[in-house]
Amino acid sequence: MDLAVDVENVVKIYEGKTKALDGVNLQVESGKVFALLGPNGSGKTTLIRILTTQFKPNSGRALVMGHDVTTESEKVRRLVGYVPQEMSVWTDITGYENLLIYAKIYGVPSETRKKLILEAIDSIGLSDVGNTLVKSYSGGMIRRLEIACALLVRPKILFLDEPTIGLDPVARKVVWEKLTSFKKEFGTTVFFNTHYMDEADLYSDQIGIISRGKIIKTGTTEELKRSVGGDVITFEIEGDTVDDHVFDIIRRLELVREVTIHNSELIVVTDDSETAMPLVVRLLEGEGVTVEKVSMNKPNLDDVFLKYAGTRLESGGSIKDVRQTRGRIRRG
Amino acid sequence: MSSLSNLRISTNNLFVMIELELRRLRHDRTEIYTRAVQPVLWIVIFGPVIGNLRAIPTAGIPYTDYITPGILVQSMTFVSIFFGLTMVWEREQGILKKLLVTPASRYSTVIGRSMSSGVRSFFQVLIIVPIALLIGVRIVPNPLYFLTATAIIFFASGGFAAISILIASLMKSRERFMGIGQAIIMPLFFASNALYPVSIMPPVLQQLATVNPLSYVVDAVRSLMITGDLSSLLTDVIVIAVFDVVMFIIASISFKRIIE
Repeated sequence: MDLAVDVENVVKIYEGKTKALDGVNLQVESGKVFALLGPNGSGKTTLIRILTTQFKPNSGRALVMGHDVTTESEKVRRLVGYVPQEMSVWTDITGYENLLIYAKIYGVPSETRKKLILEAIDSIGLSDVGNTLVKSYSGGMIRRLEIACALLVRPKILFLDEPTIGLDPVARKVVWEKLTSFKKEFGTTVFFNTHYMDEADLYSDQIGIISRGKIIKTGTTEELKRSVGGDVITFEIEGDTVDDHVFDIIRRLELVREVTIHNSELIVVTDDSETAMPLVVRLLEGEGVTVEKVSMNKPNLDDVFLKYAGTRLESGGSIKDVRQTRGRIRRG
Repeated sequence: MSSLSNLRISTNNLFVMIELELRRLRHDRTEIYTRAVQPVLWIVIFGPVIGNLRAIPTAGIPYTDYITPGILVQSMTFVSIFFGLTMVWEREQGILKKLLVTPASRYSTVIGRSMSSGVRSFFQVLIIVPIALLIGVRIVPNPLYFLTATAIIFFASGGFAAISILIASLMKSRERFMGIGQAIIMPLFFASNALYPVSIMPPVLQQLATVNPLSYVVDAVRSLMITGDLSSLLTDVIVIAVFDVVMFIIASISFKRIIE
């Protein structure tokens, strides 16, 4: 198996105190689209910044396309494309000029430069505004331009940090259409961070779930959902939680594969929801717990996340994340 | 993948950073004009008024002529020190992160970004000098001297921009940066030979003036543009070169703090 990314026991501690990565192990196959799924603050960005040689891990080893990110960082930088979470184009020059500057930084020979840039502008659908200042672009257009800057030099692997954060659904869809077609055309490996489970679900070949600086599960979206199994029944109850003994009774039921409680939601995983649902309702009512709503679903990635990480995806997030997201929305 | 091709990519990166600055200026020249207002006031109002007092010994040079190089250099310092603001902005955005992931070395990025402040300083010279000529300042009529003076301003600007990168790495917000920037420029300016000869300063200030890199830039520009006496030019150029190299090294090291 040809590995695009191979990470072993990577630890990163910021300023001697904040442990951002706590022993990450991860392997990504070449030519695949890989999604690193986790809530804000789980260490996704730190991992991407280490893989793109921006700083070194405190310990552990990370290889990108077979090259060590610490000792062979120059080789790695020639092979990767990178789109950070924040805006990364100059807004006071045109889209064409942004691509031109990047082409020159990478030393693209002048004979092929213009053709390459025009092709890139065309393929991301910005031909009409190529000579307009980036200031006047929408959030989605800026994101597409950033992706074009990263793909201009035909990287072997493309790292994207929250590629669609703050974009509206239509813009998100267009961004993914472009990425998918680039991947098809050039066979580029795509490694992206996201906290949108639907994106990981729809666009990735493989998903890694990260929580509190550790990769806790990897697999295809089907494998992950199957590992949760059966149906997911959510009981919305009055009050935050139930007594431990009630919880134990439900857990011991033969029909129940798994049960968790989180923010007034009792979540039961079962293979036979038709029988289990009334049974659990009766049981809860018998113990004096009022059930306000019941819903039933096939497991989604959020349930997978809950099973392995013990929390929901949306929880967490610092003021910095909020500000960045809002910033993008305002521009968008 | 040889080190030679790395060197080529890094040298190339310097020029690309300068080209970027030119392209930005082509789209928006407002800053060039607004930054020129203050130095023009010094030359058009402060110079003639103080000159009338005949209180400052300038070795027979009209006072406005005497301070014109000082004002050019002051303007360069303003442009360069506030150039760090661009870096603070680029850090808040993802631009610096992305530049780090290109094959060009981070030193070439730091030096390239610093030297691009020289581009802005160059345009300041192009605005201020014609105005000085208009109000009767006599400049040594030797194009080679003038070009050398402009080149010195261009390169010295890089060193001062590197100081601003250092400040940017320590200051986490724009507001603090603005405060510190002001607090550095004015002392540098007043503790130099920009407005008066070092010899009339109090002894403590005299010592400060001799370690102030600004004094050497002013002296070099004054020799080339006004007096035509090049006896101290070599010393000036050496001091400026050493200053630039030291500041580039310090800024490159501090650059690490900017990105983490």
